[in-house]
Amino acid sequence: MANHTITFTVNGALERVDVPANLTLLQMLRDKLALTGTKNGCEAGECGACTVLVDGEPTNSCMMLAVEADGREIMTVEGLAPEGQLSPIQQAFVDHNAVQCGFCTPGMLVSTYGLLRRNPNPTEEEIKEALVGNLCRCTGYVRIIQAVQAAATQFAGTEGGA
Amino acid sequence: MAEFTTEPVGKSVTRIDMYDKVTGSATFADDIQFGPGLYYGRLVRCPHAHALIRKIDATRALELPGVKAVVTGADVPKNIGLYLIDRPIFARERVRYVGEPVAGVVAISEEIAHEAAQLVEVEYEEVPAVFDPVEAAQEDAPLLHPDLGEYEVANFIFPKPGTNISEHFKLRRGDVQPAWDRCAAIVEGTFRLPQIQHVPIEPHVAVSLWEPSGQVTLWTCSQSPFAQRDLVAQSLDIPHGSFRVVSPYVGGGFGGKAGISMEVCAVVMARAVKGHPVKLRMTREEEFIGTTVRQSLVAHTKIGCDSEGNLLAMETQYYFGGGAYNDYGVNIARAAGYSCTGPYLIPNVKGDSYCVYTNQPIGSAMRGFGMPEIHWGIEQIMDQLAEKIDMDPADFRRRNCVKSDETILTGMKMPPIDLVSCIDKATKAIDWGKREAPSAPHKKRGKGIAIMWKAPAMPPNPGSAAIVRFNEDATVNVSIGAQDLGQGAFTVLAQMAAQALGVPYEWVRVSVPVDTKYSPYEWQTVASRITWSTGNAVKAAAEDAKRQILEIVAGHWGEDPKDLDIKDGTVFSYRTEEEISLKGMVIYGLPNENFEGWTGGPIVGQGRFMPTYVTNLDFETGQGTRAVVHYTVGAQAIDLEVDTETGEITVLRIASVYDVGKAINPDLIMTQIEGGAVHGMSSAFEGLRFDSEGHPMNPNLVDYRISTAADIPLEIHGDYVETPLEDGPWGARGVGEHVMVPTAPAMANAIHDAVGIRFNDLPLSAERVFQALQEKRES
Amino acid sequence: MFARPGLPIFDYVKATSANEVVTLLREHGEGARLLMGGTDLFPNMRDGRLHPRIVIDLKGMPGMRGIVHGPTGGLVVGAATTMNELVAHPAVRAYCPLLAYAAASVASYQVRSRATLGGNLCNASPCADTSPATLVLQAEFTLQGPSGERSVPATEFFTGPGQTVLQPAEFMTTIRFPLVPAGACTTYHKLGRCRSGDLSLVGVAVLGYPDSGLPSGYRFRIGLGSVAPTPIRARLAEAVLASHAPGKESFVRAAEEARSEADPITDVRGTAEYQRDMVRTLTIRALGDVWAKLKEAK
Repeated sequence: MANHTITFTVNGALERVDVPANLTLLQMLRDKLALTGTKNGCEAGECGACTVLVDGEPTNSCMMLAVEADGREIMTVEGLAPEGQLSPIQQAFVDHNAVQCGFCTPGMLVSTYGLLRRNPNPTEEEIKEALVGNLCRCTGYVRIIQAVQAAATQFAGTEGGA
Repeated sequence: MAEFTTEPVGKSVTRIDMYDKVTGSATFADDIQFGPGLYYGRLVRCPHAHALIRKIDATRALELPGVKAVVTGADVPKNIGLYLIDRPIFARERVRYVGEPVAGVVAISEEIAHEAAQLVEVEYEEVPAVFDPVEAAQEDAPLLHPDLGEYEVANFIFPKPGTNISEHFKLRRGDVQPAWDRCAAIVEGTFRLPQIQHVPIEPHVAVSLWEPSGQVTLWTCSQSPFAQRDLVAQSLDIPHGSFRVVSPYVGGGFGGKAGISMEVCAVVMARAVKGHPVKLRMTREEEFIGTTVRQSLVAHTKIGCDSEGNLLAMETQYYFGGGAYNDYGVNIARAAGYSCTGPYLIPNVKGDSYCVYTNQPIGSAMRGFGMPEIHWGIEQIMDQLAEKIDMDPADFRRRNCVKSDETILTGMKMPPIDLVSCIDKATKAIDWGKREAPSAPHKKRGKGIAIMWKAPAMPPNPGSAAIVRFNEDATVNVSIGAQDLGQGAFTVLAQMAAQALGVPYEWVRVSVPVDTKYSPYEWQTVASRITWSTGNAVKAAAEDAKRQILEIVAGHWGEDPKDLDIKDGTVFSYRTEEEISLKGMVIYGLPNENFEGWTGGPIVGQGRFMPTYVTNLDFETGQGTRAVVHYTVGAQAIDLEVDTETGEITVLRIASVYDVGKAINPDLIMTQIEGGAVHGMSSAFEGLRFDSEGHPMNPNLVDYRISTAADIPLEIHGDYVETPLEDGPWGARGVGEHVMVPTAPAMANAIHDAVGIRFNDLPLSAERVFQALQEKRES
Repeated sequence: MFARPGLPIFDYVKATSANEVVTLLREHGEGARLLMGGTDLFPNMRDGRLHPRIVIDLKGMPGMRGIVHGPTGGLVVGAATTMNELVAHPAVRAYCPLLAYAAASVASYQVRSRATLGGNLCNASPCADTSPATLVLQAEFTLQGPSGERSVPATEFFTGPGQTVLQPAEFMTTIRFPLVPAGACTTYHKLGRCRSGDLSLVGVAVLGYPDSGLPSGYRFRIGLGSVAPTPIRARLAEAVLASHAPGKESFVRAAEEARSEADPITDVRGTAEYQRDMVRTLTIRALGDVWAKLKEAK
């Protein structure tokens, strides 16, 4: 089984990687690019811990082949803000104590970023609906929803800011 | 983020691990990089609930290129276990639950290991299995552990060899028989709870390296690195000092990462390929049934009260379905036994709590440790008693709930707590007593309450130790063996260290990862004990460091240390108002006059805490001077709606109030309350399902659903009261488990208030509610 | 019983033409699987139910994505159009919002970024959310294969759980939705085990429009999902509504008929009895929902 050479951008950086066909995008990000912020929680498209943006769309990276990333733009949690800084969404999670064990957090942040890009002023219902695919066992989601609401008020102002 | 928080105890400072976690840079077990020498393991799991192993043939597996080793039970003659050493690491002679590991394959990739695992041939001879704990407790039940009598066991656990009973706790107080006659109301019920799983978002991962020199390392997401080291060292005959357990951030534990489950398999597999680390990780499906679960329970409970509503008598039998191995589960049955009355004063009690082997996944510690299971029935019976004598359920509880200094069921005095205030606040927050309209004509609305108690369930001598070290810039490193599972332990411990030392919170770091090679001992991060126990150790260590500093500076100034103090990182004298910064001196000391020598040196503070007062309990009666260290109590009140056309339940409000002794970080208490309420609510709808032969039917997130963001209550009202714990740091006691204990019975009571139907069995579901409504309509 | 980590080994091809796909399918037979969103294929591979030698990605082929207006009105939807694309597309919202309602109910946002209409239909799970909508919207599926192109109405496409009329080496390219009748209003009601994100326990799609040719003055089309081996039209229920004026009473009667037309099985998600009862509840609600919309439009 021959490998496929694919070219794509991750967090703005151009990458070229050789991958077997059966490698998932999640496995490629974690094992070949050492971007371990994106997590493996179920490999079944249910928990959302592996959520990344593919061309701006929140996607379970465990449910996508690495080869399908060819020519696409991928964003992971590491790309939310330049190193050393926190994006408004991340800051909102900090301010609202929306993190406990932290394992679901990268997926939550990326899903949130995708949501606010397409809907900068979501209602509480819309936030819940957008995060249905991101499971959390620690927080009860309360602070996460509050953080997204807070981030939304800031987001509308910043063009493309996360 | 504040720059400089002075005297942080009692303040809602930002979590110390927040930055790592929101940037995705926090390292979890699967994130640790090991380089090209890393091998991968996969377990071969048996497909039968109960069978004898006739033959294992790994020839074909070993022939696959890339396979480095296959290990089986033949390679590991000793059992492993915490309180009862009953578990083979790889099955020997017999398998006792579907999914039990019979072999481990090591290969250069996970893909090859998986393929090779399919090639291991195992011949089984099925034998009868038993799944119900009451059935399994009978004399004629299929026997899972014929050698039960030979297992090493802790001196407070009492298995019955020749049966499936791995623990029997007896509580006898007063005399129940005559007491029934004095009761105006008696309610009896049988309550059934299925096995449920922790479902941490991070599945278990373990990497182990066995060096040719004999040094062994285990990297794993662990709540209990020291306990895991102890158990594995004993089973594999590794000297403790040669075995190192490293635990990075834990992506959710809830008790499932406390004992030993799959981690020891990784160590055995590493032994077969010395010099190469071996990574073993659980798929989500394996996480469900191949790690540990919460035990099932069948509870027969009978409680009676007089016409004024005073509780007089209780008789209860708890049959915990402990699963195939009960090494941790026995203590759950014990804890349920010595707390079997729930948070009530009942003068006459006859309780029998059994842990029973069943051919099911391994029951072990899960948040609440027996309390959610027993409160499910107790709190519903209390409601029914109140109804029989026409008393408000909240008033019934106010009257009967345990109060400070009262003598509880084991004969110990209840340390000071204030459960009545918790009831008052919880009921007020949901407008108790006010019947409110549902949101639609086809919905019915109801309110319910449940109260709870729980003590840390530990052996009598669980210790914590802490070290406080300074850096040259006077920032502080706190070393502990306790883990942050998300509950915020690192944060509150840093707050306590900062306060006790007199430095700003932001100067304190907590050394991660927890590493048995460098971290001081911690029994386990379980039992909601860390704020209290490790907190005491950290406080002691910080005070030790402070004492050393003040002595040095006092000597330098020619003063009495009693006149000195430290504030915001500066030592000062009350008497002379002289000041000196901690910077530098905490490493280099201070020069004497005219530089005629130096005083002081690197400051290292040490502290430990271990309770000294817990006693054994009489085997026949469960009575003893001091059964437990303390109890945390709380109340939850729930306002919900039932959609009578579908059976769906919408929780409108949960009010949840706990007596925490002292809120070291108030907002972290709130977040525990919120998370616990949702976890408790979710747990009422959860259940592992098995077919008639013990095969799991829903070991995945599609068919074992946990609450999502769309399922949460519309409002959660959290609150706390502070009745100081005598030996708690600043009076604090734990609350991490308690917050999910009463949710399910409070819901059951609210459903009954709404539609007049009782549910004795879990899990709840829209379907069961709908069917019950149908039956009620038809009758 | 125990799903494997990662996916089994296979080859991957990104197809660029229908001929290529047909050739590969003929060559590999059962050893080839088509890849759309992968939301069914991946779990099946992890569970060991499927182990293809080659996976053929159809998403890049011309015509497979995108939504255009049909030559006689209505919409032509590429089979590789994702659920999120359906939800957001202005033409879908304008001309057949029922498709958007159904698509929006699938799983989670992340899954909807990948799950495709064609994949959902061809996988033919009895609990698929979009299939009742295709029955009610009288969709036609364009299939491409060795003998060329053919069109199959949705009502004839599903033959059993996971089974369709697709021949070996045949695949779906587009789904045509004819213009809905004037004044049509629609809704999709779904019951899961939790509030959102679940598979469907019961799905009810309803389309209603004024029809002066009927005694009741209104025609309703009712599609039921998850309660039979395939999605079905509740014809007896529809007949009730053809002859009885819309209102609570006729809706209840129709829902009783729908209940009897459903043929669910008991599985780990729910008992047959409950699903039948929920067909009744959801049908009443869906009819009421559409009737409210029809009245508002009047």
